[in-house]
Amino acid sequence: MIINIYTLIMLFVAFVSLFLGGFLFYAALRMLLYFASAMSLETKSKFEERGYLVFLLACMILSVRMLAWPWFYFMLQSFVPEVPGAMCMFGVTQILPSAVTFLQIIKPISFFIMGGWLLCYYVDKAAPTSPLARRNLCFLLVACGVLLADSIADISYVLRMKPLMSVSCCATFFDVPLRPSAMIPQAIFGIHFQKILFVLYYLINIILIALLFLLLSKKWLSFTAFSKKIVVYSMAIVGVVNIPVVIYTLIENIIPRLMQLPYHHCIYCFMGKGVVPDAPVMLGLFVIGTFAIGWMGILHMLCMNAETQPVTEHLLKKVNGLSAFCLLASLMMVTIHLIFT
Amino acid sequence: MTKKIWIGLVISIIVALGGVAYQKFLRSPRCAFDGSAVPPIYEVDIVLRDRSVKKYCSIYCAVQWFKNNHQVIDHVVVVDEIRGKKIDSYMAYFVESELITNETNDNRIHVFQQRQDALTHAEKFHGTVIDDPFTMDE
Repeated sequence: MIINIYTLIMLFVAFVSLFLGGFLFYAALRMLLYFASAMSLETKSKFEERGYLVFLLACMILSVRMLAWPWFYFMLQSFVPEVPGAMCMFGVTQILPSAVTFLQIIKPISFFIMGGWLLCYYVDKAAPTSPLARRNLCFLLVACGVLLADSIADISYVLRMKPLMSVSCCATFFDVPLRPSAMIPQAIFGIHFQKILFVLYYLINIILIALLFLLLSKKWLSFTAFSKKIVVYSMAIVGVVNIPVVIYTLIENIIPRLMQLPYHHCIYCFMGKGVVPDAPVMLGLFVIGTFAIGWMGILHMLCMNAETQPVTEHLLKKVNGLSAFCLLASLMMVTIHLIFT
Repeated sequence: MTKKIWIGLVISIIVALGGVAYQKFLRSPRCAFDGSAVPPIYEVDIVLRDRSVKKYCSIYCAVQWFKNNHQVIDHVVVVDEIRGKKIDSYMAYFVESELITNETNDNRIHVFQQRQDALTHAEKFHGTVIDDPFTMDE
């Protein structure tokens, strides 16, 4: 185990969230089982009062746990000088590769699910009779499951991490002609895939931002229910398509230009080496902007009923605004760098 | 758009411009091949025909770039490991030994201004004197 301030904080947060998450899972499951027989509105309200502490605990743990995602990358960056041969976080990921891959997949998933749960809880709390309490409990069980898996994986990785082997430089993976980030788009778009990706990056982002602002505009109210559905579904599809397009465009086009290293495509160097100091902000804005679209979908699916509709719609507007802002800000920051760097 | 979004956008523009300014004016030199910090003692400067200079962290990185771009290169400046003095590559002695200067790319080529320093290093670290890796065909 490598001992530094990052691993100690990571371990502390992981252990606390493991114990409290375990308790939360048990408490939520118990409440849910009891809930099945409790049907009347009064009982539901009473039950919600009893469960207040459980939900409060959930809010606290999930909020802290969401911060574990960026913290994980701070921790990986702190390991770079310790690992022989590592030039950036990529080298660190070569030690215990399956554990790191698992963590890199589960962390965004847990961030997304926990954020979604917090929004659903906000809606439920704003309604006087807590009509979504049962649904929130079910959702909390899922969030707790992900939280527990994430915490256990964190503890296991930090404790097993030993820089005993020499690793290769990121150039051996990201800069070779047969790198996956080049081969996959090349298979789809042909030899001139970089230009096509670059155009797609701007096109899709602009369409997505325009759709998000359309939802915020007054014109949206005059749309028919059918056209509203079409716009919302197309926004969801564009949002999903945007994820690989942005990732591939970043790796293939934007990162080398922004780092002023035309042959270097490493996203870890871009994120963590300080070559582009505001790179984490650009990436963070894109992530929150994209996740916010998903959170809007969760709110639509789980929080729309007669009692909560005004609160949900108000919150949807806020999340919509957040998403539009984050994606626009990320796009503007990338553009400014491309123009002036 | 609401006032908050405008304020946020202005802040993000300022952050981006700050990032660009940092990259252009404040950042210490980085290797033009792999982006890592350039240690002054192992620095290699490739001077291009348009008089611009590219800096590299090791002989390995400089050679990698040199191989593909020799037509635009005017000359190469290396640093004597003993005195830290910058010299033209054709004047330097290069020794490939067991001593690694850069663990990332496993560079083992060392640069010396004096022949005696090169031989001493070669003897001490089981190396051999090699030809100038930056030789350009006329």
